[in-house]
Amino acid sequence: MTTELLSYSIIPLLAALAIPFFGRRSFKLTEILSNVTLLAGLGNLMFIIFNPSNKLHNYETFSFDGFTILMLFTIYLVALSIVFFSTFFKVGDFNKNAFYPLIMISVSAMSSMVLSVDFFSLYIFMEALAVTSFALIACEEKKSGIEAAIKYLLLTFPASALILIGLAIMLFANGSLYFDISMQNASPAVFSALAFIVLGFAIKAGLFPFHFWTPDAYQGAPATVSAYLAGIVTKVSGMYAIIKICTLLKVMGPASFKISSPLMLIGVATLIFGSIAALAQKDFKRMLAFSSISQMGYIVAGAATLNPIGILGAILHLFNHATFKTSLFLNSAAIEKSAGTTNMKKLSGLEKNMPVTSWTSVIAIFSTAGLPPLSGFWSKLLIILALWVAAPKPYAILALIFSIVTLAYFMLLQKNVFFGKPKEELKEVKEASVYMLIPVIVMCLIIVVSGIFFPFVFEFFEKTL
Amino acid sequence: MTLTSTFSLDWLFAALIIFIGAYCMVLTRNLIKQLIGLEIISKGVMIAIISSGAMSGNTNLAQAIIITVILVEAVIVATGLALLVKGYRLNENIDVKKLDNLRG
Amino acid sequence: MTYNLFIYLIITIVAITAVMARKMLISAIMLAVASIALSLLMFKFSAPWAALFELSVCAGLITVLFISAVSLVKKEDMALKESRAKFTILPLISGAVFIFMAIFLMPYFESLSGFTRNPEIQPKVGEIIWKFRSADLLGQITILAAAVFVVKSVFYKRSEQ
Repeated sequence: MTTELLSYSIIPLLAALAIPFFGRRSFKLTEILSNVTLLAGLGNLMFIIFNPSNKLHNYETFSFDGFTILMLFTIYLVALSIVFFSTFFKVGDFNKNAFYPLIMISVSAMSSMVLSVDFFSLYIFMEALAVTSFALIACEEKKSGIEAAIKYLLLTFPASALILIGLAIMLFANGSLYFDISMQNASPAVFSALAFIVLGFAIKAGLFPFHFWTPDAYQGAPATVSAYLAGIVTKVSGMYAIIKICTLLKVMGPASFKISSPLMLIGVATLIFGSIAALAQKDFKRMLAFSSISQMGYIVAGAATLNPIGILGAILHLFNHATFKTSLFLNSAAIEKSAGTTNMKKLSGLEKNMPVTSWTSVIAIFSTAGLPPLSGFWSKLLIILALWVAAPKPYAILALIFSIVTLAYFMLLQKNVFFGKPKEELKEVKEASVYMLIPVIVMCLIIVVSGIFFPFVFEFFEKTL
Repeated sequence: MTLTSTFSLDWLFAALIIFIGAYCMVLTRNLIKQLIGLEIISKGVMIAIISSGAMSGNTNLAQAIIITVILVEAVIVATGLALLVKGYRLNENIDVKKLDNLRG
Repeated sequence: MTYNLFIYLIITIVAITAVMARKMLISAIMLAVASIALSLLMFKFSAPWAALFELSVCAGLITVLFISAVSLVKKEDMALKESRAKFTILPLISGAVFIFMAIFLMPYFESLSGFTRNPEIQPKVGEIIWKFRSADLLGQITILAAAVFVVKSVFYKRSEQ
């Protein structure tokens, strides 16, 4: 483990263990404690990242890996917005003394996963994360939640088995489980091990042939939990490891294309399948779930080019995906609360009554589709450039075309839900409360600002990655 | 008796046991039986880990890993059974085929 | 070699019985027998600590969990009608798969074993757990804490009831 940053995983764990003792007095204390813990962590990380001395000394004093810091920042950002949102959401009946600790434990598990330096700690923290997600999905007393949790458990178990088999091969072929594979010790057995591990994490990330569980899990979960799952949990539990392994493959010499080229094919297939399936959906949350699958395809395709630009694009797209997908899912949660449904057939013309929700959705949608100057444009541009340079040309063209399809299905969504004439029964719908809008507005600000000031972002990663 | 031949034998049986567990998980409709299949797969995986540890003369690392894996497995099975019991209270059945409320 | 083969045969037969059994209780008990056989195998591989954990957690705790779950859902368990044919042909299928694997996967495993790399240092178990794999201890604490809150949230009684 990277010991300098270990406090980011231990403090949420301690907070989770402390919450039930405070929560016995009142739920208010529970909420305050979890918000404050995450806010403090986020402030600390922002101090590390935006410290002016970094730029002054040309990032020579900056001793951390840029990817790790960015992932920690994303985890804390998304978790804080979810916790802040659910403090004011107040829908559904569930045990607050278990819900907030579970979120804190999953933050701790994700941070540990990001900080781990060997495959086995990656595995165990991934399992801890998975266990908390099952409980979060099933935290409400509803049939759909239990069903989604059981499906998540049973359909992602093959991933754990595959990863363990890969670890077993790694154990004798590499002698240790650390991320210290180099060109000298990259034997075919190590490649077999990595192939098993990548396959396992591909199931966990919900890539194309293994995507069955994702839409059900997102749809069955309570509204805030599905934002949390789609925004960060499934991305860290699957996609982080895949990008990490791609950075390892990069230094393992030319033989690594045996893994990277099938992975790239899976990525392109995922982005095509996700976009086409999203076009056919009738439910807001389910469409977002399929869109999430399609964006995962972009990330995998970018990382599997094993090109520095592609990997940087994948990392940035992971961050951007967290911002825009969290804000879209939080908007769907706000709509579910106000209008009582997420079925797009029953919704229309909400723009008049929910202007802020509508316009933040527009920003997030444009960022997803990759319109300049929003942040999504830059990461998609890097990915498509890398595909053009380091992959067969049709891949880059397909990625470009399906980014237009993304825009198409999201405009369909925007038209059905927000624009047009409001229905009679939706006339009384109210805008979400100010506090519920704050996380979404902050996310949109991040999308716009990191898009406009992209040269600084790029410089940061150029120096620290 | 050479080490190499034991290794192949270990992995052959590990693969067979994993196959039996996977067969059970795929074909049964009973949720408890699916969890039993999951357990059988874990047994096969553990054979693979201990055998590769013995193969490279690194049994101690393999032991440390297996201890953690056993713990993880126990927690996962406990979670699965807890979800199953709660689902049974809500739905009055443990049939996988009935898990089809979520449709787009 | 013969000892290992004997134990593997026991585990395989017990696993097939667990899958084929009509009653869930028998499946759970068969699983415990498989765990005991696996722990004997671990002793043979000179991994006593792992064997101890296998014996106490898998053969003990998990069996208890399964039996209590089975007794909670007993009534429905009987009512669930599914065709037995797919389970009765399992011994045949696993025999066929075994022969298939022996022909096609065995060479792959042999070739894998040629790439063995022995580690430079081989510390003791305690040293490994506390010194080299201390991250796992944090992981174990995390997952146990998660399990506590899972049970707390899944079996939450609503205040009105």
